[in-house]
Amino acid sequence: MTRIPRIGIGGPVGSGKSMLIERFVPILAEKGYSVSIISNDVISKEDADRMRTNLATKKGLLPENLVIGLATGGCPHTAIREDPSMNLSVIEELESNHPDLDLIIIESGGDNITTTFSPILADYFIYIIDVAGGDKYPRKGGLGIESCDLLVINKIDLAIMVGADLKLMQRDAEINRKEKPFVFINCKTDEGVLDVAEHIIHDVLFGSLPKSTITQKV
Amino acid sequence: MLEVNSPIGNIFHDKEFKYFKNMNFEKIKISRIDLEKRILRRKTDLGTDVGWKLDPGVKLRDGDIFKNKDKKIVLEQLPEKVISFKLKTKNKPELMFLLGHIIGNRHRPVSIQGEEFLFPIQTESEKELFSKLFGDFITHIEMTIKEQVFYPNSGGDIHEH
Repeated sequence: MTRIPRIGIGGPVGSGKSMLIERFVPILAEKGYSVSIISNDVISKEDADRMRTNLATKKGLLPENLVIGLATGGCPHTAIREDPSMNLSVIEELESNHPDLDLIIIESGGDNITTTFSPILADYFIYIIDVAGGDKYPRKGGLGIESCDLLVINKIDLAIMVGADLKLMQRDAEINRKEKPFVFINCKTDEGVLDVAEHIIHDVLFGSLPKSTITQKV
Repeated sequence: MLEVNSPIGNIFHDKEFKYFKNMNFEKIKISRIDLEKRILRRKTDLGTDVGWKLDPGVKLRDGDIFKNKDKKIVLEQLPEKVISFKLKTKNKPELMFLLGHIIGNRHRPVSIQGEEFLFPIQTESEKELFSKLFGDFITHIEMTIKEQVFYPNSGGDIHEH
C-alpha cells in the first residue's frame, strides 16, 4: 500500500488551524494536488463540518467524504501523540481506498506550547500560534514551538490592537528555532499563506508533481 | 535535490564503515527529534540539498551513511541538554521505583549508561523542577546538567512534552 505523506497541524484553540487549512488547500488544489483532511476534536465535529462545507461543498476542491471529523472523546493530544491508533486507522483506510491522494492533513487542537505529533502519525509538523496570545509565545519556547518543522504566527493584523511586537516575535523565533523556518501570516487576507503552501510542497512533497499529472503523462 | 531512502551503513554500528569516522565526508547535523522523522529535507554542511523519504521500517540513527551515485553523506546527531544523575545510596529499590515513576510521568525518554541515568530537558530551570519532584529522595542522588548526544534506551524513546 502506498504511504501518503502526512502533515500535522497543531496549536492552541482559536489560533487558526482550520482557517489555515481553508486558505492553503485551494493553493494546493490549484496546483493539482489531491488532499484529504482529518480534523480531531474532543466531542464536536464543527471544524470538520465547516471545512467540508467551505472546501468541498461550496468550492468542490475535494470530495466531501475526504474531510473527516474525529471526535476523540478525550484530549486530542492523546489521539495525535500517545495513542494515534484512531487516526492511523482512518489513514489506513484512506491509503487503501484513495492511493491517488498526494497529501493527508491532520488537524488537532492543543492546549499549550508542548503539542507535538507522534512521528508515527505525521511526517511534518506545523505549529500555529496567533499574536493575540501575546508576543511572548516564541520566547517561551516549548516542544511545539522549538521542534515543529514550520512555525506559523497568525493574525498579524491584530498585533497593533493587542500591543504585540512582531519584531520581538521574529527575533525570539529566530533564537529559539535556530535555522528552522517560521512565517507570519494573516488568514483573513491570505498574507503569508502562499509561503506555507510552498513549504509543504518543498519540504514534504519535495517539489514533485501531483500524482494525477504524472498519471496523465504516462 | 538528492533523494535517499535508506542508509548504506552506520559509522558507529557497522565495522566496515568505522573508517568513515576519520574521513571528511559531507555532514548533516540534525536533532534527536528530527531523527524520528520519515520525511525530512535538509542541507549538508557543504550545501547539498538532501531529502529523505525513508523506506518502511527504516529509522534514522546518529552516524548513518547515505550514498547517492558518488556522493556520501554522514548524519550527525546534535548534542542536547540532559539531566544526569547517579545514586549516592545503593540497594534502595523503592528509590529506583519512585525516580522511574517521576521521570516516566513527565514522559521523558531515558538512557542508562552504567551507573549514570540520563533524560533530556529543554531548559536548565528543569533541574529545579525535578529537584522538587524528587522530594526527600534528592539527598540520595547526585544530579548535574550536561550537554551531549542523547541516545534513548530501547523502550525508553517515548514521546515528550
